[in-house]
Amino acid sequence: MTPMRAMVIDDSRAMRMILKRIVTKLNFEAVEAGDGKEAMDLLADMTEVPELALIDWNMPNMNGLEFVTKVRADPRLREMTLVMVTTESEQSQIVRALAAGAHEYVIKPFTEGAMIEKLALLGLVPTGANS
Amino acid sequence: MSVEVEVDESDLAEMVEQVWESYLDPEGVSPLIPTYDENQPSEVHSSVSITGSWTGHVVYASSRAAAKRAAAAFLAMELEEVSEEDMSDTLGELANIVGGNVKAMLPPGAQLSLPQVVLASESSARYPNAQRISGVYGMWEGEPVSISMWQVSTDNKEEGA
Amino acid sequence: MTLSQAEFTFVANLVRREASIVLAAGKEYLVEARLIPVARAVGAANVNDFIGDLQKRPNPAYQRKIIDALTTNETSFFRDREPFAALTDVVLPELIKSRASVRKLRFWSAASSSGQEAYSLAITLQETLPAGWSFEIVGTDISTAMVERAQKAEYSQVEVNRGLAATQLVQYFERAGAHWRIIPALRKNVSFKHMSLTAPFPPMQPFDVIFLRNVLIYFDVATKRQVLQNAAKILRPDGLLFLGAAETTIGIDDNYERVAAGRTSAYRTRTAAPAGAARRG
Ligand SMILES: C[S@@+](CC[C@H](N)C(=O)[O-])C[C@H]1O[C@@H](n2cnc3c(N)ncnc32)[C@H](O)[C@@H]1O
Repeated sequence: MTPMRAMVIDDSRAMRMILKRIVTKLNFEAVEAGDGKEAMDLLADMTEVPELALIDWNMPNMNGLEFVTKVRADPRLREMTLVMVTTESEQSQIVRALAAGAHEYVIKPFTEGAMIEKLALLGLVPTGANS
Repeated sequence: MSVEVEVDESDLAEMVEQVWESYLDPEGVSPLIPTYDENQPSEVHSSVSITGSWTGHVVYASSRAAAKRAAAAFLAMELEEVSEEDMSDTLGELANIVGGNVKAMLPPGAQLSLPQVVLASESSARYPNAQRISGVYGMWEGEPVSISMWQVSTDNKEEGA
Repeated sequence: MTLSQAEFTFVANLVRREASIVLAAGKEYLVEARLIPVARAVGAANVNDFIGDLQKRPNPAYQRKIIDALTTNETSFFRDREPFAALTDVVLPELIKSRASVRKLRFWSAASSSGQEAYSLAITLQETLPAGWSFEIVGTDISTAMVERAQKAEYSQVEVNRGLAATQLVQYFERAGAHWRIIPALRKNVSFKHMSLTAPFPPMQPFDVIFLRNVLIYFDVATKRQVLQNAAKILRPDGLLFLGAAETTIGIDDNYERVAAGRTSAYRTRTAAPAGAARRG
């Protein structure tokens, strides 16, 4: 069985390491990108689309919101589950991200448990795997 | 007139507590113990700038030892493995997270800069025209750590904005 | 400075008497760590002085503070998910049929802590009940500090990150400075009261569903049994009791039977319900 794959898109290497550690624990294979543009380029070369993307909002070149919009416009990437992971925490920003097509939203700072619960909510973790 | 800041000391303290709970002390065994000492020494610092509806900086400052420990906790590494880059990335992200949360509490139209990190004493690089408006000062496992907010004076803001 | 055996015993007895919570020997260090901020807040020089004064002059307000500090309040929105999914998938559809004439439901979050459980129930009911139905949720807790927090209905970023879907955060909360506050439209159906589960229950109208989760674990068997018996009297005969994942009535109170509820289980009083149980109609 091929493992599920998760893209971790954040301009902070430290944050990518945290996210990578969590998804790896959940048996995802992690792919990193430093901004939306790099993530789009990586996706263009992939034959199999990752199941999950964890996406920061504020990044150079292409921000998280633009990335979500682009992914949603591409039928090939339709199956990807998109989760914003950001310090942007105004209610209006959450509404914007969901309207653009993000499935879930995690506000930084988050605990590992909270992130796992969110992914469980999306059906990406067997429930009760961690609590 | 500048917009009155809506972020007070207890808000800042709560954000700091959440950062500790999330990344630096998930087991809840080594909290930041407040000292209320605005003048405690620091060896490294990081900051993000906010411009727009409010203009100023959010600054993390600590000893090197605390920074190293923060990186180890954040990145789940052993202390000995922590490199300068790990330390600098971690401090940048800590300033970014607190700054981002501060921004969310300001009136709409505020922008957050990319984080800046200086792995050297901050006292020489104080922020020009900026005044400290609140801060959380404490000891973390015996090492000084602080998070503070600095408002840039309105004169300066007019030409900038 | 550490607690003397006599001081620890004094605190342990207090907490046992008021909350039926057993502080085993060996918890001295924990007790002291939790009481340091309390002692400081009331202006005592240290924990020893604080307890010493209390031994000489009982002070109900300070005793409350000790109980608050020593009860574990850990909770989260939609904790464990399954009980809430069971409500949506099987329990509420049943109740919607059986209560069609009254179109009103009453739920109890016993040991409601900071209120996340009660508000999760409110969200669940809000999203599931057909138009024209109403509901009432009562939360109770022994900690007055927790009751006040629940009434305030403000949660930190870290708390709202847990268990809630982003759409629910947007729909049922509003920003309040650094916090998120439950919107008035949801709050109006939820109330909180101070109540000890281990004292005789005050008079209460019967409930359709009782959430008595993650609190029995702190009690000894006799106390568990007493609480379960009291709860049975205010659970409607066809109503359901939900316990925490590590809790059960089995071997404690045989008046309950376990029934499947979605992917988890709940408890119902046996058809030969104990005398005095509320009857429908
Ligand atoms: C771990 S919390 C459970 C909260 C919630 N029911 C849940 O499952 O998430 C336990 C709560 O029980 C309360 N509690 C402890 N002893 C109690 C008693 N004797 N009567 C009423 N509440 C009590 C505590 O104050 C605390 O808020």
